[in-house]
Amino acid sequence: MSPTGDPGNVFALDGVGVRRGEAVLLDDVTATIRAGRCTALVGPSGSGKSTLLRLLNRFDDPTSGSIAFHDRPLMAYDVLELRRRVGLVSQRPALLADTVLAELRVARPALPADEAAALLTRAGLGRGFLERASSTLSGGEAQRVCLARALTVSPEVLLLDEPTSSLDAASATAVEETIAHLAGEGPTVVLVSHDPGQAHRLADHVLVLSGGRLVESGEVGSVRYLGGPS
Amino acid sequence: MTATQVAVPSWIGVGTSVLLVGVAAAVAARQRLGVTRELLVAAVRSAVQLVAVGAVLGLLFVHAGVLGALGWVSAMVLIAGQVAGRRGAGVPRAARCATVGIAVGAAATLGVLLVLRVVMAEARVIVPVGGMVVSGAMAASAIVLRRVREQAVEARGQVEARLALGLPAEQAFAPQLRSALRTALIPNIDGTKVVGLISLPGAMTGLILAGVPPLTAIRYQVVVMWMLLAAAALSGLVTGRLAQRALFDPAHRLRPLVEVRTRRFRLRRA
Repeated sequence: MSPTGDPGNVFALDGVGVRRGEAVLLDDVTATIRAGRCTALVGPSGSGKSTLLRLLNRFDDPTSGSIAFHDRPLMAYDVLELRRRVGLVSQRPALLADTVLAELRVARPALPADEAAALLTRAGLGRGFLERASSTLSGGEAQRVCLARALTVSPEVLLLDEPTSSLDAASATAVEETIAHLAGEGPTVVLVSHDPGQAHRLADHVLVLSGGRLVESGEVGSVRYLGGPS
Repeated sequence: MTATQVAVPSWIGVGTSVLLVGVAAAVAARQRLGVTRELLVAAVRSAVQLVAVGAVLGLLFVHAGVLGALGWVSAMVLIAGQVAGRRGAGVPRAARCATVGIAVGAAATLGVLLVLRVVMAEARVIVPVGGMVVSGAMAASAIVLRRVREQAVEARGQVEARLALGLPAEQAFAPQLRSALRTALIPNIDGTKVVGLISLPGAMTGLILAGVPPLTAIRYQVVVMWMLLAAAALSGLVTGRLAQRALFDPAHRLRPLVEVRTRRFRLRRA
């Protein structure tokens, strides 16, 4: 049965596949991503987690199957509008401007400083960071600035692609706390993680991928991949 | 003024100067630069090309008129587009982007000079002046394409970060394109700054060698320098814009760079 038609679903994937030449990156994935929850995509390296994530803001398109966003085909949306509604923070923080304030104004040049400071606070950084030079930020601070920057366009979904994997342990913990805080505020979060422990700490729902196929899904406590009941 | 009054080397002199190619080749070989063969091919190629071009220009100036000269410049644009396009190998449709960019830069610059009668509409003027314009435009387009290609790889994360915020492709790549254009224009700006101080440029040198008084010769050189600035700026801009469009698909995604097939010139042994 097609997983569409439920208003609680933000995304509904139906038989989604991605092929690049002979390589099958995703194969017949049917799943839903529920509104207001944190869904973790987990699995070993090369299982197709990041490929699946990049389909959701149309950085890639499936070669078979379909994806619906709020019950409308993803392709039917204006792609720029879609990306403002579905934000993405990638694995390595990509800083774009000289100062943190300028960073937060990349997508909203007229963003007031007070609003920028409030976004920094949501991302776990203080107002004092506004005038900081981007080049002086630690890896963890830079990633939290990237999270705040993603929030400047008020996305209803946040896609996080292994957001702590390039950070040291202390920074990773700080970023994880920020994600937990943001996820608790209500937006739908889709988190790619190779770390089962992190998925356990942050996610409500889990999709387990292996070799491009969806092999398991369910609530975080019930998934065998995360050590749930067998 | 006859040719013998102009300080032109005899054919024997030209033959003797091949020793200088030997010096360059010896340096390259001794330092193991890996360019000796390419250097020798370039030297032979330049001699063959220039002899052929000299013969054709002789005929062109006498028989072809202004239209023939413009046809010659158009052929130069096509060749220059292919050469500059190779510097952007990997960028989709790189040669086409370069050809259009060079054509626009050359047509606008040469057109202004001819329409305003700054230079004479004669074949013997259009061909060498057109050659300088096309050459300058080609250099700028080549640098822009090379930098655009490098930026598409090195700055992919930054470009995708802007795209992820919902910015359109042209805004997402704007800082990279600006950087490429700046890089392309710097050699021209620097060359214009120091002209006459640390170098006597080609057009002026040629006129002085031909016996024209220096204060007259510099008038031509000033026009040439300004013309080259305009040609480089316009060609770089148009080439860069077209390359940027080619790099993104309609869904504002950075395309993967196309596979590059390298071509090498090989000398056949007799």
